Amino acid sequence: MDPEAEFGRLYEAHRTAVHAYFVGRTADRWVAADLMQEVFMRVWQRLPELSGRSPDGQRAWIFTVARNLSIDTFRHERTRAGAEAALGDEPAPAPPSAATAVIAAERVAIVGEAIKQLPEQQRTTLAMAAAGGLTSAEIATALGVPAGTVRYRLSLARRALAAALARYDDPAAPEPR
Amino acid sequence: MSLDDTLAAWAATVRLPATTAADIYQRIVTTPAPARAVSPGLDPAWWRRFTAGFTTRMITSTQPAPWAA
Repeated sequence: MDPEAEFGRLYEAHRTAVHAYFVGRTADRWVAADLMQEVFMRVWQRLPELSGRSPDGQRAWIFTVARNLSIDTFRHERTRAGAEAALGDEPAPAPPSAATAVIAAERVAIVGEAIKQLPEQQRTTLAMAAAGGLTSAEIATALGVPAGTVRYRLSLARRALAAALARYDDPAAPEPR
Repeated sequence: MSLDDTLAAWAATVRLPATTAADIYQRIVTTPAPARAVSPGLDPAWWRRFTAGFTTRMITSTQPAPWAA
Protein backbone atom coordinates (compact mmCIF):
# COMPACT_ATOMS: atom_id res chain seq x y z
CA MET A 1 0.00 0.00 0.00
CA ASP A 2 1.10 3.57 -0.67
CA PRO A 3 2.74 4.86 2.56
CA GLU A 4 0.66 8.04 2.65
CA ALA A 5 -2.59 6.11 2.19
CA GLU A 6 -1.56 3.65 4.87
CA PHE A 7 -0.59 6.45 7.22
CA GLY A 8 -3.87 8.25 6.48
CA ARG A 9 -5.81 5.14 7.44
CA LEU A 10 -3.91 4.80 10.73
CA TYR A 11 -4.26 8.51 11.46
CA GLU A 12 -8.02 8.47 10.96
CA ALA A 13 -8.43 5.26 12.92
CA HIS A 14 -6.45 6.32 15.98
CA ARG A 15 -6.07 10.10 16.14
CA THR A 16 -9.20 10.74 18.25
CA ALA A 17 -8.28 8.05 20.75
CA VAL A 18 -4.65 9.18 21.01
CA HIS A 19 -5.78 12.77 21.49
CA ALA A 20 -8.30 11.69 24.14
CA TYR A 21 -5.54 9.75 25.92
CA PHE A 22 -3.43 12.89 26.13
CA VAL A 23 -6.43 14.99 27.17
CA GLY A 24 -6.73 12.59 30.09
CA ARG A 25 -3.03 12.82 30.88
CA THR A 26 -2.57 16.56 30.49
CA ALA A 27 -6.06 18.06 30.97
CA ASP A 28 -5.31 20.40 28.05
CA ARG A 29 -6.56 19.69 24.57
CA TRP A 30 -3.91 21.83 22.84
CA VAL A 31 -1.00 20.27 24.71
CA ALA A 32 -2.70 16.97 23.86
CA ALA A 33 -2.74 17.99 20.19
CA ASP A 34 1.02 18.68 20.25
CA LEU A 35 1.68 15.31 21.82
CA MET A 36 -0.64 13.57 19.37
CA GLN A 37 1.32 15.15 16.53
CA GLU A 38 4.56 13.78 17.97
CA VAL A 39 3.09 10.30 18.24
CA PHE A 40 1.92 10.31 14.63
CA MET A 41 5.22 11.77 13.46
CA ARG A 42 6.84 8.64 14.91
CA VAL A 43 4.17 6.48 13.28
CA TRP A 44 4.98 8.12 9.93
CA GLN A 45 8.72 7.69 10.38
CA ARG A 46 8.41 4.05 11.42
CA LEU A 47 5.49 3.08 9.25
CA PRO A 48 7.14 -0.09 7.86
CA GLU A 49 7.27 -1.47 11.41
CA LEU A 50 3.50 -1.20 11.73
CA SER A 51 2.53 -2.43 8.30
CA GLY A 52 2.42 -6.13 8.99
CA ARG A 53 0.70 -5.92 12.38
CA SER A 54 -2.88 -6.76 13.28
CA PRO A 55 -5.24 -3.85 14.15
CA ASP A 56 -4.81 -4.63 17.86
CA GLY A 57 -1.05 -4.82 17.39
CA GLN A 58 -1.05 -1.45 15.66
CA ARG A 59 -3.14 0.09 18.46
CA ALA A 60 -0.81 -1.36 21.09
CA TRP A 61 2.25 -0.06 19.20
CA ILE A 62 0.81 3.44 18.84
CA PHE A 63 -0.20 3.66 22.49
CA THR A 64 3.16 2.34 23.63
CA VAL A 65 4.70 5.29 21.79
CA ALA A 66 2.09 7.58 23.38
CA ARG A 67 2.78 6.27 26.89
CA ASN A 68 6.55 6.55 26.45
CA LEU A 69 6.16 10.04 25.07
CA SER A 70 4.04 11.18 27.99
CA ILE A 71 6.55 9.68 30.43
CA ASP A 72 9.37 11.56 28.66
CA THR A 73 7.31 14.70 28.60
CA PHE A 74 6.42 14.57 32.26
CA ARG A 75 10.06 13.88 33.01
CA HIS A 76 10.99 17.10 31.26
CA GLU A 77 8.16 18.97 32.98
CA ARG A 78 6.68 20.26 29.77
CA THR A 79 3.27 18.74 29.65
CA ARG A 80 1.70 19.90 32.84
CA ALA A 81 2.63 23.54 32.28
CA GLY A 82 -1.00 24.45 31.60
CA ALA A 83 -2.51 21.35 32.99
CA GLU A 84 -5.65 21.45 35.07
CA ALA A 85 -6.44 24.78 33.41
CA ALA A 86 -8.36 24.00 30.30
CA LEU A 87 -10.78 21.10 30.70
CA GLY A 88 -14.26 22.46 30.79
CA ASP A 89 -13.11 25.97 29.87
CA GLU A 90 -14.28 25.63 26.29
CA PRO A 91 -17.87 26.63 25.59
CA ALA A 92 -20.33 23.79 25.17
CA PRO A 93 -22.24 23.47 21.89
CA ALA A 94 -25.42 25.54 22.13
CA PRO A 95 -28.52 23.57 23.14
CA PRO A 96 -32.02 24.64 22.03
CA SER A 97 -33.42 27.15 24.55
CA ALA A 98 -31.73 29.73 26.76
CA ALA A 99 -32.77 28.13 30.06
CA THR A 100 -31.83 24.67 28.85
CA ALA A 101 -28.59 26.08 27.53
CA VAL A 102 -27.64 27.56 30.88
CA ILE A 103 -28.43 24.37 32.75
CA ALA A 104 -26.64 22.21 30.18
CA ALA A 105 -23.58 24.46 30.17
CA GLU A 106 -23.49 24.42 33.96
CA ARG A 107 -23.76 20.65 34.05
CA VAL A 108 -20.95 20.33 31.51
CA ALA A 109 -18.84 22.70 33.62
CA ILE A 110 -19.60 20.64 36.75
CA VAL A 111 -18.61 17.46 34.96
CA GLY A 112 -15.47 19.10 33.53
CA GLU A 113 -14.48 20.23 37.01
CA ALA A 114 -15.19 16.79 38.47
CA ILE A 115 -13.11 15.15 35.73
CA LYS A 116 -10.17 17.39 36.65
CA GLN A 117 -10.43 16.13 40.23
CA LEU A 118 -10.33 12.45 39.23
CA PRO A 119 -7.17 10.41 39.78
CA GLU A 120 -5.14 10.45 36.56
CA GLN A 121 -5.75 6.80 35.66
CA GLN A 122 -9.50 7.24 35.96
CA ARG A 123 -9.39 10.54 34.06
CA THR A 124 -7.38 9.03 31.21
CA THR A 125 -9.62 5.98 30.98
CA LEU A 126 -12.75 8.10 31.05
CA ALA A 127 -11.39 10.50 28.41
CA MET A 128 -10.52 7.59 26.13
CA ALA A 129 -14.03 6.20 26.49
CA ALA A 130 -16.00 9.46 26.35
CA ALA A 131 -13.92 11.59 23.99
CA GLY A 132 -12.00 8.84 22.21
CA GLY A 133 -14.98 6.55 21.66
CA LEU A 134 -13.03 3.41 22.60
CA THR A 135 -14.57 0.31 24.13
CA SER A 136 -13.24 -1.15 27.37
CA ALA A 137 -11.44 -3.87 25.40
CA GLU A 138 -9.81 -1.30 23.10
CA ILE A 139 -8.73 0.83 26.06
CA ALA A 140 -7.31 -2.30 27.70
CA THR A 141 -5.23 -3.05 24.60
CA ALA A 142 -4.08 0.54 24.38
CA LEU A 143 -3.09 0.89 28.03
CA GLY A 144 -1.84 -2.67 28.48
CA VAL A 145 -4.15 -3.39 31.43
CA PRO A 146 -6.93 -5.99 31.86
CA ALA A 147 -10.36 -5.02 30.55
CA GLY A 148 -11.76 -5.54 34.05
CA THR A 149 -9.43 -2.85 35.36
CA VAL A 150 -10.69 -0.48 32.66
CA ARG A 151 -14.32 -1.18 33.57
CA TYR A 152 -13.54 -0.68 37.27
CA ARG A 153 -11.85 2.67 36.60
CA LEU A 154 -14.76 3.77 34.42
CA SER A 155 -17.23 2.76 37.07
CA LEU A 156 -15.39 4.74 39.78
CA ALA A 157 -15.09 7.75 37.51
CA ARG A 158 -18.76 7.70 36.55
CA ARG A 159 -19.77 7.34 40.18
CA ALA A 160 -17.72 10.43 41.06
CA LEU A 161 -19.27 12.41 38.20
CA ALA A 162 -22.78 11.28 39.10
CA ALA A 163 -22.18 12.39 42.70
CA ALA A 164 -20.95 15.79 41.50
CA LEU A 165 -24.06 16.22 39.35
CA ALA A 166 -26.31 15.09 42.20
CA ARG A 167 -24.79 17.78 44.44
CA TYR A 168 -25.47 20.33 41.68
CA ASP A 169 -29.07 19.15 41.28
CA ASP A 170 -29.67 19.08 45.03
CA PRO A 171 -27.18 21.20 46.97
CA ALA A 172 -28.77 20.03 50.23
CA ALA A 173 -27.81 16.43 49.45
CA PRO A 174 -25.19 15.02 51.82
CA GLU A 175 -21.60 14.64 50.62
CA PRO A 176 -20.81 11.09 49.48
CA ARG A 177 -18.72 9.11 51.96
CA MET B 1 -29.75 15.77 30.78
CA SER B 2 -28.30 12.38 31.74
CA LEU B 3 -24.72 11.73 32.76
CA ASP B 4 -24.04 10.18 29.34
CA ASP B 5 -25.41 13.26 27.57
CA THR B 6 -23.38 15.55 29.80
CA LEU B 7 -20.26 13.48 29.18
CA ALA B 8 -20.91 13.62 25.44
CA ALA B 9 -21.23 17.42 25.65
CA TRP B 10 -17.99 17.59 27.65
CA ALA B 11 -16.26 15.35 25.09
CA ALA B 12 -17.31 17.76 22.34
CA THR B 13 -15.55 20.60 24.16
CA VAL B 14 -12.22 18.77 24.42
CA ARG B 15 -12.16 17.00 21.06
CA LEU B 16 -9.79 18.38 18.44
CA PRO B 17 -11.47 20.37 15.65
CA ALA B 18 -11.34 18.58 12.29
CA THR B 19 -9.42 21.46 10.69
CA THR B 20 -6.68 21.21 13.32
CA ALA B 21 -6.48 17.46 12.83
CA ALA B 22 -6.18 17.99 9.08
CA ASP B 23 -3.42 20.60 9.60
CA ILE B 24 -1.47 18.19 11.77
CA TYR B 25 -1.88 15.45 9.17
CA GLN B 26 -0.57 17.74 6.42
CA ARG B 27 2.36 18.84 8.58
CA ILE B 28 3.37 15.22 9.12
CA VAL B 29 3.04 13.92 5.58
CA THR B 30 5.02 16.82 4.15
CA THR B 31 8.10 15.55 6.03
CA PRO B 32 10.19 13.02 4.08
CA ALA B 33 8.40 9.75 3.45
CA PRO B 34 9.51 6.77 5.51
CA ALA B 35 12.01 4.51 3.83
CA ARG B 36 11.23 0.81 3.67
CA ALA B 37 13.53 -0.91 6.08
CA VAL B 38 16.03 -3.09 4.32
CA SER B 39 16.12 -6.42 6.09
CA PRO B 40 19.62 -7.32 7.19
CA GLY B 41 18.64 -10.98 6.97
CA LEU B 42 17.91 -13.26 4.05
CA ASP B 43 15.96 -12.22 1.00
CA PRO B 44 12.32 -13.14 1.84
CA ALA B 45 12.13 -15.05 -1.47
CA TRP B 46 14.90 -17.34 -0.24
CA TRP B 47 12.65 -18.92 2.38
CA ARG B 48 9.93 -19.53 -0.20
CA ARG B 49 12.39 -21.20 -2.58
CA PHE B 50 13.92 -23.23 0.23
CA THR B 51 10.52 -24.46 1.49
CA ALA B 52 9.38 -25.39 -2.01
CA GLY B 53 12.60 -27.33 -2.68
CA PHE B 54 12.54 -29.02 0.70
CA THR B 55 8.92 -30.10 0.27
CA THR B 56 9.63 -31.48 -3.19
CA ARG B 57 12.60 -33.50 -1.91
CA MET B 58 10.55 -34.75 1.05
CA ILE B 59 7.70 -35.98 -1.14
CA THR B 60 10.06 -37.49 -3.69
CA SER B 61 11.91 -39.36 -0.97
CA THR B 62 8.74 -41.14 0.14
CA GLN B 63 8.09 -42.59 -3.31
CA PRO B 64 9.47 -46.07 -4.01
CA ALA B 65 12.66 -46.09 -6.03
CA PRO B 66 12.15 -47.26 -9.65
CA TRP B 67 14.58 -50.12 -9.19
CA ALA B 68 12.71 -51.40 -6.13
CA ALA B 69 9.28 -51.34 -7.75
